[in-house]
Amino acid sequence: MDIKFESIEGRSFEYRVTMIAFAALAITGLISTFYIINKGLWVTGMYSRVPWGLQIVMAVYYIGLSAGSLVISGLYGVFGKLEYKPFARIAVYLAMLFLIAGLLSILTDQGRMDRVFIQPFVHFNLQSMFSINPILYIGHILICVVYLWALFTERKKLTTVVATLAFGWAFCVHSGTGAIFGFGARMLYESPLLPASFVAAAMASGTALMIIMIVGLFKLTNRRLDDELIVWLGRFLAICVIVVLYFIAVENSYRAYVIELRHAAVYYLFGGIHSLLFWIGLILIGLVIPIVILFRKKTGKSVKWIVLASSLVIFGVLCERYVIVIPGLTHPPEIFPGMEITHSAIEEGIASYSISFLEVLQALGVFGVIGFMFGWGLRYMKLLPTEARALHPCPESTSRKKL
Amino acid sequence: MDRRDFVKTAGGSILLAASSAYAFQFLTSSSASWMKLEVPSTGRKWGMVINLDRCQENCTACLDACRHENNVALSGDERWDIHWIRKVRIEGKIGSKTTEKSVILLCNHCDNPPCAQVCPVQATYKRDDGIVIIDHHRCIGCRYCMIACPYNARCFNFKDTEEWPNKERPRRSHGVAESCHLCAHRLDVGKMPACVEACQRVGAEALFVGDMNDPASNVSELITNNAVKRLKEDLGTAPKVHYIGL
Repeated sequence: MDIKFESIEGRSFEYRVTMIAFAALAITGLISTFYIINKGLWVTGMYSRVPWGLQIVMAVYYIGLSAGSLVISGLYGVFGKLEYKPFARIAVYLAMLFLIAGLLSILTDQGRMDRVFIQPFVHFNLQSMFSINPILYIGHILICVVYLWALFTERKKLTTVVATLAFGWAFCVHSGTGAIFGFGARMLYESPLLPASFVAAAMASGTALMIIMIVGLFKLTNRRLDDELIVWLGRFLAICVIVVLYFIAVENSYRAYVIELRHAAVYYLFGGIHSLLFWIGLILIGLVIPIVILFRKKTGKSVKWIVLASSLVIFGVLCERYVIVIPGLTHPPEIFPGMEITHSAIEEGIASYSISFLEVLQALGVFGVIGFMFGWGLRYMKLLPTEARALHPCPESTSRKKL
Repeated sequence: MDRRDFVKTAGGSILLAASSAYAFQFLTSSSASWMKLEVPSTGRKWGMVINLDRCQENCTACLDACRHENNVALSGDERWDIHWIRKVRIEGKIGSKTTEKSVILLCNHCDNPPCAQVCPVQATYKRDDGIVIIDHHRCIGCRYCMIACPYNARCFNFKDTEEWPNKERPRRSHGVAESCHLCAHRLDVGKMPACVEACQRVGAEALFVGDMNDPASNVSELITNNAVKRLKEDLGTAPKVHYIGL
């Protein structure tokens, strides 16, 4: 199976407009970040009771997308599924970009950004998940670079070795990210299941992202894409989504069952706007509806429906990230068990948090940076295959012919 | 690649990565130990006793003294105010009896401080004399310590401030975590923390700081002779702030 890769010309009006839009977003994000640095983090709306906000939610989300899309590249690199070779380069490149997005989100959230490039490396603390993770992230980016190089130069043996390393590393990366929360002292964070649950959500969102990117790119550039390839990815996505649902069910059942955590579980499940995001955004839109779409015989084989299900999963996992990070902070640690704090100089009890406009601008800025880098990559690197054929396509399979 | 090869390669890779991380830690820790701001070991272990029965509800002498001594400024909006020490009112019900108390909260200077464990740059660390302290020149402002503290004892300096009442101590700078350091600069020269001094000045004598390793110290005697409680002892953090009357 001889697969040729090529770059896009990038002279169309649509390409230029898209690149300008990404650049504009990136510049807006940069300006808002400078404003925040200048004024102090208080302008983001965060405060001592809720010290993490949208940037951390987005960082965790991006890192998940990265780890998930790298797993898709492993279908060819590790498991030798030759029909998925056409997507391997895009998957690795996207994995690298999303990890950069995660790191940018974390970087722009620090109180003293100027110290981030030196202190964590000079005063490394192996006991801290926040110390271990940057090593995993930087390793992940380096592995992606070598992986891309192996794919571009068609080095089969090296590809297999690096792909395997990347596959294992991606698991560590997202387990490590989950451990930042799961190994924490907060009632709604602490869970040894969280790293595994994070990996499942990463695989679901990464697969969903790859489905959307592949179908979108092939359609926009008029390339042949056999439906069977997407239908198989859809089935894989369905399994990932069921695993995510299972982990969520176990975690919440545990909290609801254990008496000392029951109060926190009730707050999590029925305590405010985050509960709506949990039930409607995550469970209904993000998991149940996609499962129905992907398992129904008719819709599960339709690329359009699979793309819709993928979009819903991506939205659902974003909601999941929010309902992990924020309610864990707004729900207070119980300093005096069995007693209530009735008066204090600071806001005690359940805290409030709302996303600020500046945080949204920062998040869009990060998205603009990686969007621009992706567009640049498509133009200057041979990322896209000329076509993607199934090894045994059905005769009635509708395929687009490359113009 | 068959399944066996995959497991072998993946396992080997993870093993290699883990050993590299340990090697890195080993190499950096030796250099980090002499870079850290350590005080010479004095054999002391500072601890605190708060006698809530003697603490008067409307008195804020300790809070005010702390703000003045350490330049802990109020920002004008309670969401971003910094508190190294604060007073809360708690209410509990046992049967038909409702009890109310005013409690002083501050950093517990835990023997196993979760804040120091999670600090990615070792900016928060425990000194040999037991004081948990932040190196503000090293803190990157990630706020992970605030998440890890089970006592809500840490604040973040979200805003810059112009207030600088005590010119002998540095002005607070934005972008770093904040918490009580038991006035380590005063203890190091034989003075009591500002809050303790202020409490004694107003005659309440509710706050005591002393060497827990010395059986004859006021703190050791108070701990021995009274029913003292520590906050959330079950967590294993071993807080060094003890309460009488909680």
